[in-house]
Amino acid sequence: MHVTKEFKKKTFLKQFLLGLHVSNSISNPISIQQRKNSIKLSADLAMAFARGRTHWTHALITKLGQKEENKSTLKGILGRRYEILMARYSCPLLYQKVQRRKKSVRSYRFSYNAQKRRSSALKGSCVRVSPSVVARNLENRRTKVLKRLVPGGELLNGSALLSEALDYVISLKAQVDMMKSLWRATQVSSSSNVELVPSAPLQKKDASCTIANSEE
Amino acid sequence: MSSRRGRITDEEMNELISKLQLLLPESRRRNVGRASAGKLLKETCSYIKSLHREVDDLSDRLSQLMATMDDNSPQADIIRSLLRS
Repeated sequence: MHVTKEFKKKTFLKQFLLGLHVSNSISNPISIQQRKNSIKLSADLAMAFARGRTHWTHALITKLGQKEENKSTLKGILGRRYEILMARYSCPLLYQKVQRRKKSVRSYRFSYNAQKRRSSALKGSCVRVSPSVVARNLENRRTKVLKRLVPGGELLNGSALLSEALDYVISLKAQVDMMKSLWRATQVSSSSNVELVPSAPLQKKDASCTIANSEE
Repeated sequence: MSSRRGRITDEEMNELISKLQLLLPESRRRNVGRASAGKLLKETCSYIKSLHREVDDLSDRLSQLMATMDDNSPQADIIRSLLRS
């Protein structure tokens, strides 16, 4: 099983900038929180597009498309592609099954713990468990946390979950790095405001080259 | 670990684990031979959470920047030209 790491930086940049532009131009009296959510959405979408088709990107785009508040921004970013993409990335049934399973697990666990407490209270002693059981429980608990963090992780197990997590971490790191360099580029440009105006065409090329090539 | 894995070999699993360990910032510093599964999971989870927080923070900064950015400023021009290229 190979983990192919293909994160197209230029794809990310282009997609993210488009998202930023949409976030900026969408309904002018907009709260900072809304703009921030719109920017986060653009970043996640750009990350998913830059990575290509994997389990987690599919799950991420599905999740983003299902939220009501994201729809206008998504339409702005994707334009004509919106309908096609949303048709491809809508698996409501799948996620409904997962939600139902989660609820039943929670209620089972609650009743099981209550039962354990009752039985131990009756016995008048604490429940003794072997260290291997403790270790296994810890691992199970942490696996559950990981499943929640990785998009689409609830449907995976064991090695598949780990390899998706690995891929997701790499893409997240790349996303953070790209956003940081974009931020730094705007800082640089704002500090050298005067020189920009006369030689504007040159500066534009430099900025894009710097961002795209800095992590090569 | 359980033997439920079936098709994936132990070597591939070890490779996955070592790759994950290389990524995580903590283990790079300590240079541990083989971290336990629990520790690996815990560090992966906390690393993902910290990356999420960084994205959140950067989105905050960028949104404030865009709020203060004038529509006719040079920065806006740069971004517009980057979009066109």
